[in-house]
Amino acid sequence: MIAASIATPIVDWLALSPALALLAAAALCLLGAVLVPVSVRRAFSAAVAGTGFAAAGILAAVVFGRSPEQQLLIAESLTRDRLAALTQILVAGFGVLAVLISWGDRRRDHVGEYYALLAAAGGGMIFFVSAGNLLTLFLGLEWFSIALYILVALDTHRNASLEAGLKYLIVGSFGSAVLLFGSALTYGATGELGFNAIREATGADDPLFVAGMAMIIAGLAFKASAAPFHMWTPDVYEGAPTPVTAFMSAATKAVALVVTLRVLVTAFPEQAEIWSIAVAVIAVASLVVGNLAALAQTNVKRLLAYSSVSQAGFMLIAIAADNDLGGKALLYYLIPYGAASAGAFAVVAARERELGREVTLATLEGWGWERPFYGAAMWVFMLAFAGFPLTGGMIGKFYVFSAAYEAGWWWLIVIGVVATAVSVYYYLAVVRSLYMRPASARADLVVAGGSPAPDPALELAIGAAVVVTVGSFFFVQPLIDLAGKAVLSLPF
Amino acid sequence: MMGPGTTWYIAVAAVLFGIGTTGVILRRSPLIVLLSLEIMLNASNLALVGFSRQFASVDGQIFAICVMAVAAAEVVVGLGLIVAFTRRKMPLDVDTLTELRG
Repeated sequence: MIAASIATPIVDWLALSPALALLAAAALCLLGAVLVPVSVRRAFSAAVAGTGFAAAGILAAVVFGRSPEQQLLIAESLTRDRLAALTQILVAGFGVLAVLISWGDRRRDHVGEYYALLAAAGGGMIFFVSAGNLLTLFLGLEWFSIALYILVALDTHRNASLEAGLKYLIVGSFGSAVLLFGSALTYGATGELGFNAIREATGADDPLFVAGMAMIIAGLAFKASAAPFHMWTPDVYEGAPTPVTAFMSAATKAVALVVTLRVLVTAFPEQAEIWSIAVAVIAVASLVVGNLAALAQTNVKRLLAYSSVSQAGFMLIAIAADNDLGGKALLYYLIPYGAASAGAFAVVAARERELGREVTLATLEGWGWERPFYGAAMWVFMLAFAGFPLTGGMIGKFYVFSAAYEAGWWWLIVIGVVATAVSVYYYLAVVRSLYMRPASARADLVVAGGSPAPDPALELAIGAAVVVTVGSFFFVQPLIDLAGKAVLSLPF
Repeated sequence: MMGPGTTWYIAVAAVLFGIGTTGVILRRSPLIVLLSLEIMLNASNLALVGFSRQFASVDGQIFAICVMAVAAAEVVVGLGLIVAFTRRKMPLDVDTLTELRG
């Protein structure tokens, strides 16, 4: 007689619940695409996806409260800690914003699939930030990336959307393949897959090991759209449906940067001298390329895409600092950055829906006077990106530079300050065209189909983004305390 | 351990990865580019399985099987996009996809 005894791992369902909530929402939306009648399908799918994101955020907050110590789950493949939980709360928040922004979209087909993919992408991101070994890292990355490839290309009636989808698929998969080969080399050098096990296994500076680490950094930099791995960003941000761009620009960057921080600090602390220089170089490249290219843009979505490349540069400075102040700075910076980024694309979406065509600096002329709420909100977001007072962007930059100062990276601070000064020009160019240039009577700027319908969901999303952007300035201390608690789970 | 040593597996994997990278960068048809991406993923699989054999642990093999599933999902999306391209009579040539630029 054979005693069938398979050792089953203990599954911590609470730690998995945020990802499971979003998977359930995605499944319900897909069922809704078949079973729910067309007339209520949009409302049903949006409600389910929005509830899924809200539930994921609340569950992640519960996990945050109950995990003062880092725990490794399921054969050490997943991490339950406050760093993951805090990032999950951010992703869930950006997801709710994306659902609100999507509501007024004039999408007629693929409504159920759209919300299902949005929820699935969010679930993938939430899984990705809790990765504890190289396998879950790769699976999480591909999980949300594949959902995003389809979301970008979902407007199949627009050539630009299809083109953006194919470009994102090719460049994104290339980045994943580089990350995977790096993972294979790291596994070969250490014989381990878990981040903690890799740290304990290393001794010498094996060339295989350093090559693996470099390829993992490059693969993650593709997702964070840091230069020189950013070439897909402007095309994809421009071609994708604008609510998807809003979600990607905020959430993908947040998870990619947090995971970069976690992998480098947890798995490769002995190589810190090598990777901090590599990350600093990528940060400088992002600042230079992002800012210079943004100066030349007239399409607002492309301008914001290059601005997101340069913002990634600022956040990489925090990672290069390799200290706990840097970790705090990164987590804090993501809050105003993500809110401002999602909000700015939401304002672009509002103008796009009025005009029925792409939004350039010329088609924004005088719009701030016509639509005072959207104009003022855009103003706030641009000031937050540029780091002006009364927005969280200023404090974020201050913390990033403090972390760099503490680590002795004074030349990074100089480049960061110069980059900030340059960025003011193109951020204020948006404000200038909103307010300073009167709208010339142009026949092509007549609002499509008369006065546009009011969109309370979009206004709510923009209002929430403004509140977070400005509120993070006034509530710095509580937010920094939260970030500090999250960073405690990293071995600095 | 019978057969060639791990170094040979890694050498072949590196060559395959190089071929895949070259293909992604140089070829113009999205179909061939997708094929080259698959070669890159399979190069990593070979390296994983080779190392797994060296360490006599199954971690690398499990990883490789997961990668195969992911690669299949990725290629489904890629081929779906190519079908959508053909339906809209868009050129299947990476160099002429220039609607988005600036």
